[in-house]
Amino acid sequence: MQTHIISLLVEDHPGVLTRMSGMFTMRGINITSLTVSPCEKEGLSRMTVAIDGSESELEKVRKQLSNLIEVVKVVDLKEEKAVIRDLCLMKVHVKDSNARSEVMQLAEAYGAKIANATLDSVIIELTEEPRTIDRFVDLMKHFGIKQLFRTGVTAIGMDTGGGLER
Amino acid sequence: MTREKLKGAEIVVEELKNEGVEVAFGIPGGVLLDLYDVLYKDDVIRHILMRHEQCAAHAADGYARVLGRPGVCIATSGPGATNLVTGLANANMDSSPVVALTGQVPTAAIGSNAFQEASTFTITMPITKHNFLVTRTEDLPKVIHNAFYIANTGRKGVVLVDLPKDVLATRVDVNLHPKETFTGYKPKIKPNPVQIKKTAEVLANAERPLILAGGGVISANATEELRHLAEFLGAPVVTTLMGKGAIPENHPFSLGMAGMHGRIYANRAISECDALLSVGTRFSDRLTGWQLDQFAPEATLIHVDIDAAEINKNLQVDIPLVGDAKLALEEILKWLEKKRTTSPGSVWVQRIREMHSACEECIGDVRREGASISDMLIKEISKVLDDDVIVTTEVGQCQMFAAHYYITKKPRTFISSGGLGTMGFGFPAAIGAKVAAPDKRVVDLAGDGSFLMTCHDLATCVENDIPVVVCIFHNCYLGMVRQWQELFFEKRYSNTGLGTIPDFVRLAEAFGAYGERVEKPEELKDALQNAFESGKPAVLDMIVGQEDKVLPMIPPGGSIVGMIGTERCKPI
Repeated sequence: MQTHIISLLVEDHPGVLTRMSGMFTMRGINITSLTVSPCEKEGLSRMTVAIDGSESELEKVRKQLSNLIEVVKVVDLKEEKAVIRDLCLMKVHVKDSNARSEVMQLAEAYGAKIANATLDSVIIELTEEPRTIDRFVDLMKHFGIKQLFRTGVTAIGMDTGGGLER
Repeated sequence: MTREKLKGAEIVVEELKNEGVEVAFGIPGGVLLDLYDVLYKDDVIRHILMRHEQCAAHAADGYARVLGRPGVCIATSGPGATNLVTGLANANMDSSPVVALTGQVPTAAIGSNAFQEASTFTITMPITKHNFLVTRTEDLPKVIHNAFYIANTGRKGVVLVDLPKDVLATRVDVNLHPKETFTGYKPKIKPNPVQIKKTAEVLANAERPLILAGGGVISANATEELRHLAEFLGAPVVTTLMGKGAIPENHPFSLGMAGMHGRIYANRAISECDALLSVGTRFSDRLTGWQLDQFAPEATLIHVDIDAAEINKNLQVDIPLVGDAKLALEEILKWLEKKRTTSPGSVWVQRIREMHSACEECIGDVRREGASISDMLIKEISKVLDDDVIVTTEVGQCQMFAAHYYITKKPRTFISSGGLGTMGFGFPAAIGAKVAAPDKRVVDLAGDGSFLMTCHDLATCVENDIPVVVCIFHNCYLGMVRQWQELFFEKRYSNTGLGTIPDFVRLAEAFGAYGERVEKPEELKDALQNAFESGKPAVLDMIVGQEDKVLPMIPPGGSIVGMIGTERCKPI
C-alpha cells in the first residue's frame, strides 16, 4: 500500500464527481483526499485525488478513469516530480503565555501563519507538503488541538504532463 | 426563412430519425405524453409496445446484437426506469449498443420525491457506458447525437438519456443535427504497428498457435479476418460464450467454446498451445477458471482489445494490442503474408485434427450412450435448424446446453446473456431479433424457470405479429442451481423445485400463441415444423429429465485442466 496522487482534467458538468468517485467505490478503494477546482481552461475542472493502493490497483483505476466520457486527461503524479501541497487550518489551545509563545515559535519554524488569536487559543494556517503538516500536527497535539481542517492535497507536475500544455 | 420553434419531444424524434432509428421498444407514462404524442404522428419510427420495461431493454439489446447498430428502448420515470435497469446492465456487460430514453419528473420537481420519481441518472450511472440528465431543451440535439455516437463506437455499450417532462414540452429554436462531441472521448481504433509486429513475430514462430475469439470479434465484424488468419496460420480457434459464431463451428479449425462449461478439447488446446492470440475477450472467470496460473501456462499471451482498461485486468498478458479487432487482425495477417513463414509443426496440425474429430463425434452423435434427454434434444435442434436461424438463450442449463452442443455457423446468430447472466433475457431478446430480421427464423432456447420471468411478453408477440419460437427445457427445476446442489451440496435441493405449474401449452394458447408438448426427442422435428408453420409465436414444451446435467464442467474453484464429468468425452 502506498499513497498515489491522481490528477484529472474533467468536463465541468453536474455528475462528474459522482461518476469519478463511483469508479473508486466500485473497486473498494478509499479516497483519502480530494480537491476540485477550476483550471486554466474554461469549461474544464481539475480534480486531485489521493488514494492508498497497490501499483496494479492504481493502473486499473487509471485506465477505467480514462474511459469515462467526461474525463479529458488522467495523470498519475509521481511524488518526486511534482509540487504537492495541502492547506491546514487548526485551532490550538494555549493554556498560558508560555504555551502561546512556544506555539508561535514552532509555527514560525514551520513557516505557518497565525490567522487569529484569542486569550486561550490561536488559529494557525500552514500550507506545506502533507508530511510536513503531519509532523506539525503531531507537535501541536502536545498543546491540544481543538479543531483541525485540511483541504486535502493539490498537486502540479514539474514536467509537461497533467495540464493542457504540450 | 424563419424557423419554426420545435418542442423538445419533436427534437428528440427528429434526432432519432437522423441517427437512423426505425424501431423503438417501450412503454409510455405520464411524463412521456409529449414524446408519445410525437411518435403517434410520426410514420418512420415503429414503436413496439412491450408489457414490461425489462423486456423493452432486452428487446433493444437483441435487436442491436443482430444488426450491429444501436437498439432503442423507452420507459417512463420512476418504476419504468427502474424496471429497465436489469436490461441495461445486461446489455452494457455484453458491450451491446443500446440507447435508452427515460422520462423524468419536471426539472423543478427533481429531488422532491414527486410521484413516480427516481434518480434514474444516479441509479444507472454504474451500469451504463454514459448517461445524461437533460435540463435544457436546447441541449437535446447534442445529447441525442452523442448518445448514439458513444453507444456505437469504441467498446460499445449502453447510453441512457433522462428526459424531464418540461424539457420535452418546451418549444425552442435550435439547430438540429450537430456534430460536436466530447473532448475526452476518443475511442482508440488504430492498433500500434510496433505491437502488431511483435504479435506477428510471436505467431510466426509459434509451433502451437491458438486463437481465442471473444464477442469483440463479432461486434467489430471481424469474423472473416479471423477465419483468414486462422487458415493462414493453421491455428485452431476456440471461442468464449460471447464469441460463438466468430468462426463457423463446423469449420475444421473450430474447437468450439472453452471455459467452465466449454468443450474439453477447447480447454485442452488452451493448455497445450504455445502462443495464444486472444481477440475481444475480457478473460472472465467463466472462461479461465479460478486458477489463473493453469490458464495457457505454456503460451505467450497476446491480447487484442478495443478497451485499454481490459488489458491486464483479469489476466496478465505478454503482448497487449489496443485497437479495433478487424483492423488488428487485418494488419497481423498483412505482416505475416509479407514474411511468408513456416506453418506450425505437423504434430500440432495432427493434434488439432484429432481434437476436432473427437469434438464432432461427441457433439454430433445424438444417441451417444449415456446421453440425457436434454442432450438429445439440443443436438436434434442443432440438426434441424438451418444456418440462418437466430438462436437466443435464457440463462442456466438451457444456455450451456446450447453453448456446448448447438453448432453456430454464422456471426450474430447466437445471442445470449454472457456477463450478467440474466434469466428471462432470451425471450424478449428473441423479440428484438425477430424485429431486426423479420425474414429469419428466431428460436429462444429456454428453461422453464427463465421463461416464467418474462413470458408475459407473449402478449407483445401476438399483438404485433412477431412469430418467435420458444423451446422450453421443462425440468421443473431451476436446473443449473439444482445441478450445483446435486454435485456440491449433497442433493439438498433448497428452493430449486418449481413444481409442475404452469401448463405451458395452455399458457401459450391463452395468449393466442401456438403451443405443443414434446414428450420425446423424436417428436421435436415435427413440433418445430408445426410451430414455424403456425405462423404464430409458439411455445414448445419439451419435457426433459429432472436430473439432467450439463457436463463436463470446471467445478467452482477449479482450473481449466480440472474438468469433472468427462466420462462421456472421447479421450484424446
